[in-house]
Amino acid sequence: MRDAIVIALAAIGLAFSLSGAVGILRMPDVYSRIQCSSKTITMGALPVLIALVVGMGPISSYGSRALLVAVLLLIVNPVASHALARAAYKTGVPMWRGAVVDQVRQQAEAGSGEADGPGRP
Amino acid sequence: MSHVYLAVAITEIAIAALLFVRLAAGPTITDRIVALNTMSTQAALAVLFFSAFAGRTIYLDISLWLASFSYLGAVIWARYLERGLL
Repeated sequence: MRDAIVIALAAIGLAFSLSGAVGILRMPDVYSRIQCSSKTITMGALPVLIALVVGMGPISSYGSRALLVAVLLLIVNPVASHALARAAYKTGVPMWRGAVVDQVRQQAEAGSGEADGPGRP
Repeated sequence: MSHVYLAVAITEIAIAALLFVRLAAGPTITDRIVALNTMSTQAALAVLFFSAFAGRTIYLDISLWLASFSYLGAVIWARYLERGLL
């Protein structure tokens, strides 16, 4: 029973990780790739870690380290992704030509946005 | 049970190897940083599962180090791209 739960959770997590990797390979611009890297990879990592916690028990050294890695991922992955997206926008990485909205640029043109302005070429 | 952990570790390594394509061919430097960040996450998970397979608790600290310091590297790269050195 416990083995079945472990295998099912690991399969769910690996499927999400694989879809995130394919998204990073196939998405058209940097911002879409950052979206794949932040959301899908986190969703792929959490079930795999929970599978290790279920398989080894939460009190064992493996389970406690897996919980610690899960908390670290949840805290630190959005911070890094936000910093990378902000740096990409500030350094003028162009959006995909099919992108429909750029709210930072709209706010800067309305005069209520950031003072240093967007860095789009 | 332990062969399941080994299979998970090998699959994570394969997913990380898939990302080498984006690391090599990324048009901007931010693409490469994103691919490297994701690869380090997968590597941390692979090390964790390999330690569960091999029964060596000494690899767990390497996994924790990878999971925490890789993001510190990404944040430092973002800050460097935005404002230059320091």
